Amino acid sequence: MLKYVSRRLVYMVPILFGVTLLTFVLFNVVGGDPAAQAAGRHASEEQIQIFRKELGLDRPLPMQYLFFLQQIATLDFGRSWATKQEILTMFSDGVGPSLSLTLPAFLLAQIITIALALLLARYRGTHFDRATKISCLALMSMSSLVYILWGQYVLAFQWGLFPISGWDASLTGRWEYLGLPILIFVLLSLGGNILFYRTVFLDEIYHDYVRTARAKGLGETTILFRHVLRNALIPIITRVVLQMPFLILGSLLLESFFGIPGVGNLVVSAIQNADFPVLKAMTFLTAALYMVFQLISDVLYAVVDPKVQLR
Amino acid sequence: MFRSLLIGLLVTSSLAGFTGCTRKGREAENTLNVVVSQNIKGLDPILTSDVFANIVVSNIFEGLLHYNYLKRPLALEPMLAAELPKVSEDGLTHTFKLRPGIKFQDHEAFPNGKGREVTAEDFIYSWRRLADPANQSDGFWVFDGKIAGLNEWRDKVAKGEANYTTPIEGLQAPDKQTIVIKLTKPYFQLHYVLAMSYTAVVPKEVVDKYGKEFINHPVGTGPFKFESWTRNSQVVLVRNPDWNLHAYPSEGEAKDTEAGLLADAGKKIPFVDKVVIQEIVEDQPRWLNFMKGNLDYVQIPKDNFDGAVQNDKVSAELAAKGIKLWITPEPDVTYTAFNMLDPVVGKNENLRKAISLALDTPTLIQKFYNGRGIVAHSPIPPDVDAYDPSFKNPYKEYNVTKAKEFLAKAGFPEGKNAPAIEYSTVNSSTARQMAEYFKQNMEKIGLKVNIVSTSWPQFTTKIREKKAQVWGIAWLGDYPDAENFLQLLYGQNVSPGPNGSNYKNKEFDVLYVKASHLPPGPERAKLYQQMRDIVVKDMPWVPGAHRLSYTSYHGWLKNFKYHGIIYDYFKYLRVDTKARSEMKAKL
Repeated sequence: MLKYVSRRLVYMVPILFGVTLLTFVLFNVVGGDPAAQAAGRHASEEQIQIFRKELGLDRPLPMQYLFFLQQIATLDFGRSWATKQEILTMFSDGVGPSLSLTLPAFLLAQIITIALALLLARYRGTHFDRATKISCLALMSMSSLVYILWGQYVLAFQWGLFPISGWDASLTGRWEYLGLPILIFVLLSLGGNILFYRTVFLDEIYHDYVRTARAKGLGETTILFRHVLRNALIPIITRVVLQMPFLILGSLLLESFFGIPGVGNLVVSAIQNADFPVLKAMTFLTAALYMVFQLISDVLYAVVDPKVQLR
Repeated sequence: MFRSLLIGLLVTSSLAGFTGCTRKGREAENTLNVVVSQNIKGLDPILTSDVFANIVVSNIFEGLLHYNYLKRPLALEPMLAAELPKVSEDGLTHTFKLRPGIKFQDHEAFPNGKGREVTAEDFIYSWRRLADPANQSDGFWVFDGKIAGLNEWRDKVAKGEANYTTPIEGLQAPDKQTIVIKLTKPYFQLHYVLAMSYTAVVPKEVVDKYGKEFINHPVGTGPFKFESWTRNSQVVLVRNPDWNLHAYPSEGEAKDTEAGLLADAGKKIPFVDKVVIQEIVEDQPRWLNFMKGNLDYVQIPKDNFDGAVQNDKVSAELAAKGIKLWITPEPDVTYTAFNMLDPVVGKNENLRKAISLALDTPTLIQKFYNGRGIVAHSPIPPDVDAYDPSFKNPYKEYNVTKAKEFLAKAGFPEGKNAPAIEYSTVNSSTARQMAEYFKQNMEKIGLKVNIVSTSWPQFTTKIREKKAQVWGIAWLGDYPDAENFLQLLYGQNVSPGPNGSNYKNKEFDVLYVKASHLPPGPERAKLYQQMRDIVVKDMPWVPGAHRLSYTSYHGWLKNFKYHGIIYDYFKYLRVDTKARSEMKAKL
């Protein structure tokens, strides 16, 4: 397995190289003029030139690209052109709040939806199954903004169950503000997750081993929890692990509506401000995270399923 | 499964309970609760290019001058200067005397942690920082080409040929209390820019200690000290107990007495012990937090406007909650710009006039600003000396028939053979809707419009590279002087400078230079009005609106008098904490 992991890690290098090249080319083609952006609305051509020099944009493009690679190698992405803040600090300051929201919400959503999906598989074809499926579709059809606006207006403002928005930097204080966004995150996950896991379980439920278990006289609940759930782990792992990078990258809408100082808006504001250093860092980190978690999911396949061999 | 659900419910309900406990009693504190609608980028005065950071920075740092809080039109007054500067007869030398005994806020970078006295050299150091290219300030324009030797020093520093001890002819400190500024040409706006955050005084010791991280550790001379900043969440300031520069103003406008704005005249300020500035970018939570009493004042969001304001008064529902309204013109102008180098729109005055007459601005103000604006007849906004509310731009009326006549004169009767106009905008939903509105208006006279929407950086790059044809944009004034708006049409400022229209008119330029040699006054205002008339005739822009700011505030907040150019106002605001506790319970 170690050999497999090392080989996969080596494969990542050319892919990441491609990602950096693509980011660099795209930004230089469509990114706008960052020097003019940074120099401000009054700037003359002369002042823009001074900024171009200060930002290193007067160097030939290949040199700029090499500098980008050097930043990646040293993991020093410098400072944002728009905010003048250290990029790694901007990122590390935001990851904690983002994860405080997304991780518990995500885990809670998985537990609830897997349990519900198992129940649906158990009572497949019944009115309960059909009603839940329709409810799931209805939940999925509504924009996430509807949940947020409604939750904030009714649950927080009118009923006073939660604060409307806000944040407390202390580890204990922040939960005061996370209740509602977590609840909405879970609600938003319900529809899609339940339908997906239901399909996964139904795929398993008609396999021979289930029939054998039934023939042996095992109860339906035991079959579902002990056998079906275990055999359905591969698609569950794929779904769960591959969503991990996005948990780290936060949730743009929930964060901005509930005032959670996460990393959700880093990329959006970087695009809005032609903030290339932040874009470079975030694109690279996203790609790297995605690949690392993909590798983790592959390794987990082998752990949970003896039939899978990593070569 | 049910257990999981139960756990989920328990978690959320216990959080709700927790909410009740921790928030109890906050309203009793003598804290001012403020909100900004965009995230704050940083707190270094030389890097505060937007209003959001300015609101914080202007209450921590101070400059030589500032605006009287109550007087309108805005009037400059000494802040750290002992008096208004002495200006030489040729207008080129401005001498400032500092107030004695001004101290920086306490900080560990100073000996014994006690803030030391501010000297003239501190100002010169702060302005060198602004000019130093390594600091990447976008505020250098305030001094660019205007102070003798400063641009040369900037160039030399960039090349490593000069440092912070290299003398600059135009910035001198003959003694600890005196600053002499020598200009390369008359620049009466100097006094306005010395009231901006860019030129505030900073302590070298603290800058040296933190380097570029000074942006997160601001220390100034102001009435409030920086306590903490949770990025993208909130900034907390606390009262500086050593600050004792001014009292609450004793003079204002005639109506201020009746409005209760002079009730605290002469009293010691600041009134509040703490200011919490929350960063809430979305409209709904900002408004709901205000309605719950968590914020003391807020600019009314577009979607909440109709329910909150009726006939320029707060609605009965809000009035019953003790909420009040403050309306004031923003120092701005929105406009549709033409690229005067463009072979179609730039070379055809009648076509531009047809477009102007076809644009229904009153409806636009209703649709997009909830009526919060007045039709702009020229680039000069209200509240500056050359503004004349009776002036009417003859091409600013909405008149489709007349527009069609001008279109025919332009060579395109009923729009026949007229090439499609490319209207550039940014890709936000409101900007797209406004572009669609422009398109609909033009279609009524037979003009075709193609909308091209891009990101803001691409949009501005396109203008700077002279590639845009027609676009919609706005300008928010830096200071209350028509020059700040008319410079957008000055021939020397063409793209990539701020004159994105690339408008050039010799007569206008001569008047612009002539006005720059004059101090504020009727003679200069007359020149500005002549320039206005030239622009109206040539029409490089179709002026749109001067927007109005509608701010609602709770009855417990006293002395509230917002103005878009005054930022150092936290010290004047008083919170009736007893009334807040009582009223909040009912919200």
